[in-house]
Amino acid sequence: MSNPWIAIGALAVVAVAIPISMMAVSSLLRPSVPEQGKRATYESGEVPTGSSQQIKFNIQYYMVALLFVIFDIETVLIFPWTVIYRDAVAAVGMTKVLLPMVVFIGVLVVGLGWAWRNGAVQWVRSPRATKGADTYE
Amino acid sequence: MQSAPLPETLANLLGFDPNSTPVMIVMSLIGAALIGTLMMTNTALAGPWAKRKITAAFTDRIAVNRIGPFGLFIIVADAVRLLSKELIVPEGVDRPAWDLAPLVIASTALLGFAVIPMGNGIQLADPEVGLAYVFATASMASVGLVMAGYASNNKYSFLGGLRAVAQNVAYEIPLILTGASVVIFAGSLQMSEIVAAQQQSLIGPLPSWYAFVNPFAFVLFLIANLAEVGRNPFDIPEAPTEIVAGYQTEYSSVYFVLVYLGEFIHIFLGGAIIATIFLGGPAGPVLPGIVWFMIKIWGVFLFTQWARSAVPRVRIDQLIEIGWKGMLVLSLANLLLTAVIVGVIA
Repeated sequence: MSNPWIAIGALAVVAVAIPISMMAVSSLLRPSVPEQGKRATYESGEVPTGSSQQIKFNIQYYMVALLFVIFDIETVLIFPWTVIYRDAVAAVGMTKVLLPMVVFIGVLVVGLGWAWRNGAVQWVRSPRATKGADTYE
Repeated sequence: MQSAPLPETLANLLGFDPNSTPVMIVMSLIGAALIGTLMMTNTALAGPWAKRKITAAFTDRIAVNRIGPFGLFIIVADAVRLLSKELIVPEGVDRPAWDLAPLVIASTALLGFAVIPMGNGIQLADPEVGLAYVFATASMASVGLVMAGYASNNKYSFLGGLRAVAQNVAYEIPLILTGASVVIFAGSLQMSEIVAAQQQSLIGPLPSWYAFVNPFAFVLFLIANLAEVGRNPFDIPEAPTEIVAGYQTEYSSVYFVLVYLGEFIHIFLGGAIIATIFLGGPAGPVLPGIVWFMIKIWGVFLFTQWARSAVPRVRIDQLIEIGWKGMLVLSLANLLLTAVIVGVIA
C-alpha cells in the first residue's frame, strides 16, 4: 500500500491545472476593447457611489460566525469519539462511553440555549422592515 | 471488497513496480487526470445542457434543441462562446484575491473526488481520514465565495459573500454532525470501509445502506447539503431577484465559467458524499459499480434541480433560524439517538 497522499497531491495539481489551462485558452481567444465607463461596477445602472470595501455591514453576520467557531471545534472533538464508539461499547459497556458525550453535548446545548435566549441566532429585523410588514398585514 | 487504489492498479496494468515512488507519482497524475476528466465531463453535461433541459421540463418550455442530437452540441458552442468573451476587470477590485477566487472555487471542489470510491476500483486514494478530508475540501469553497464577494468592490457581491458565509456556517455543523452519525455505524472514516459496511442485507434483498438504516439522518443530510451547495430553498447567496447574482455579479468570461463550473462540481461532490455514506457507494445489482455511482450522483443532481424549480427561496432571517434552531438541534438529537441505538444493538 503506497502513501495515499501522493495521489491526493496529484489531484491537487490536476485540479489547479484545469482552471489555469482554461484561463490560458481564454486569454488567447478573447478580445480586449477598453471603453469609457465599461469598467464601472454594476449598481443597477446607477453611477456607483463609494467603495464596497469600507461599507458598514450587519453585525449579526459576525455573531453567527463566532458561534460557528465554537460548534466547529465541537464537531472536531466529536469525530474521534464516533470512530471508536462501537469498539469501546463492546469493551467497557455503553454507559461509560455514552455518558461523557451526553454531558459534553449537554454543555453545548446549554450554550446554544443561552445564545438562543439572548437572540444571537435570531435575525433582528430593522424597524423599517418590521413597520413595513405591519402595514401590509 | 477492498480493492487497490487507482494508481496502484494502473501501475500493475502497465507493468511497472508499484513500490517505487517516482512510478507512483506518474501513475497518480494519470489517475488524477482521469478523475478530473470524468468529473469535468459530468459538469459539462450538467451545466450548459442538463440544467436547461430539466428546468425547461419543470416549467413546460422547450430548451436547447437546435444544435446536434437533443441540442447536445450546445455544450461545445457555449464553451467557445464563454471562453472567447471579453474579461472586464471592474474598477477598484482587490486584484490577487479577485483573480484567485474562481480558481479556489473550482479546484477545491474537484479536490474532494480524490477519496470517493466510484466502483470498479476507481478510487484515487483511500486515506484513513477519508470522510474528514472530503468534508474539509467541500467546505473550502466558502473561502472562495468570500474572496469573490469582498474583492469585487461591488455592494451586491459583498452582500452575496456575507450571505454565503452565514449560510455555510449555519449548515456546515448539521452536515458534519449527521455525517458523524454514519461514522458511529461504520466505525471508520475510511471511505472504502464505510462502503463495505453497507453491503450486508438489512431485510431480505434490501441492503443495509445508511439511507435505509437511518432515514432521519439521510433527510437531514440532504437538506443540509442543499444549503451547502447553495441551491433552493437556500440560494440566498445568489438570489437573482434580490442581489443580481451575489458574489458572481462582477465576473465575466472565463472567470464566470470557473465560478459556475465550481458550483456544479460542488453539487456533484455533494452527491458523491451522499452516495458514498448513505447510498452504498457504487453498490447495486446487475450494472457495473461505476454506472450505479453515476446514477446515484445524477439522482442527487436531479433532486437539487427539482428543489430549484419547485421550492421558494427562504429569507436570511428564516435561514438563520432553520439552521441554528432547527437543523442543529435535530442533528445533535440524531447523533445521540444513533449512539444509543448502536450501543443497545452492539
